[in-house]
Amino acid sequence: MTMTPPMECWSTKIHEKSGEGMSTQSNTIVDIQGLNKWFGALHVLKNVDLTVASGTRVVVCGPSGSGKSTLIRCINGLETYQQGTLRLAGTMLGHNARETAAARRQTGMVFQSFNLFPHLTVLSNCTLALRRVAGRSRAEAEDIAMAHLEKVRIPEKAKSYPGQLSGGQQQRVAIARALCLNPRIMLFDEPTSALDPEMIKEVLDVMVTLARDGMTMVCVTHEMGFAREVADQVVFMDGGCILDSASSRDFFGSAGHPRSRLFLEKILKH
Amino acid sequence: MGFDLAFALSSVPIILGAVGTTLFVALVSCIGAAATGFLFEMVRRVGGIAGLLIGFVIDFIRSTPVLAWLYFLYFVLPFYGIRLGSMTVGVMGLSLYYSGYLAEVFKAGIDAIPRGQSEAARALSLSRRDAVIHVIAPQMLRNIAAPLGNYFVSILKATPYLAVLAVPEMLGQAFDIASETYRYTEPLVVAGIIFLVLALAISHGVKRLERRLLEGGAR
Repeated sequence: MTMTPPMECWSTKIHEKSGEGMSTQSNTIVDIQGLNKWFGALHVLKNVDLTVASGTRVVVCGPSGSGKSTLIRCINGLETYQQGTLRLAGTMLGHNARETAAARRQTGMVFQSFNLFPHLTVLSNCTLALRRVAGRSRAEAEDIAMAHLEKVRIPEKAKSYPGQLSGGQQQRVAIARALCLNPRIMLFDEPTSALDPEMIKEVLDVMVTLARDGMTMVCVTHEMGFAREVADQVVFMDGGCILDSASSRDFFGSAGHPRSRLFLEKILKH
Repeated sequence: MGFDLAFALSSVPIILGAVGTTLFVALVSCIGAAATGFLFEMVRRVGGIAGLLIGFVIDFIRSTPVLAWLYFLYFVLPFYGIRLGSMTVGVMGLSLYYSGYLAEVFKAGIDAIPRGQSEAARALSLSRRDAVIHVIAPQMLRNIAAPLGNYFVSILKATPYLAVLAVPEMLGQAFDIASETYRYTEPLVVAGIIFLVLALAISHGVKRLERRLLEGGAR
């Protein structure tokens, strides 16, 4: 573990979790140091440092285009990076395809647009990876899948197709699908942004339950109520930089970074 | 010269006798063209030098007449020691020719699948192979069922080209009767009607397949 403080962007961070550098290797599931990423000439991640300890919940927020989705997509190797290091479950991503794939198996991801497979039933969506990746038999896979569908409170839709479900139901199925491979960390990329307001709660309720059960989570979201309720750490990004990284009490308290205070004021006003 | 129904009916059994050959050639060519076209598209998608090369091959195939391919395979290859039967050449020629078109159809079908689908497959750690078989190909198929059916009908209608290789397919048989009897109307009409029935059957089958693929709503 490195003890050096994270490199600064163009602004000073006010909060630094004092104990962060002390976390042991075995307890750290994601360790990002000096991460830089470009899309062509566009510098989308600038010297990003982030560590996620097992069993903690990290909420990443910030205005659109700030790089938060790109960051979370780097964590499971959906995006590559050009500079810095990203360790997932002890594996350095992006050096060896097989090791990257093995590390990715420790993650589950939930997308903004659900991305359920429309030609498969809800149950088959959940069992596909169990059968093809985990090598489970059909019966075993269906038992595991049904248990997770019950956890997200939608077992009665197992035989339905995604197109027959509401957005909130689809996203809950997507969470169940990601849980089926028994990931050590769940990544949520704006899971409620594509939902009608009345469906947001049913998805957040499932996520809160998951958090209470001790699941390690990194969640890109604008749901500040959710962040306040479950987050151990809130990260604020703007312009590809992490500007603020604080415990949720400090983040929502009075001592926040001026830029994140401005952001909070804007999105909490209405 | 009127239409002699009795003569037309008498030609039916002979022409129908060639239906098996026509259907066999069409079926094997459809499978061959679809398999080759899909393989072409997969290689083209991976890119690199092989992808560029296959892209050129696809364009080349689509820019040349199908008859040229049949003549080439049948008359030119023997000079290089490759001597194939007329049926084999016919099926190979049609498969190769239509594979170029079907590669384009497959491309459109895959391009229409939202990027999130392959991302979800990757996030679930599916191998590239499993992603193609279980996620991409089934959705591609439902996107392209209609144009795919059109090309299958086109392949059926292209089987008479094999007459130049003396493959005893349907239109060739009808023309043989016409040449012998100097009566062209009846055998050609009979052959035309049989083609019509076969083509309609294929279209109907494809429509049913499309409905089944779209079961559960588009997305």
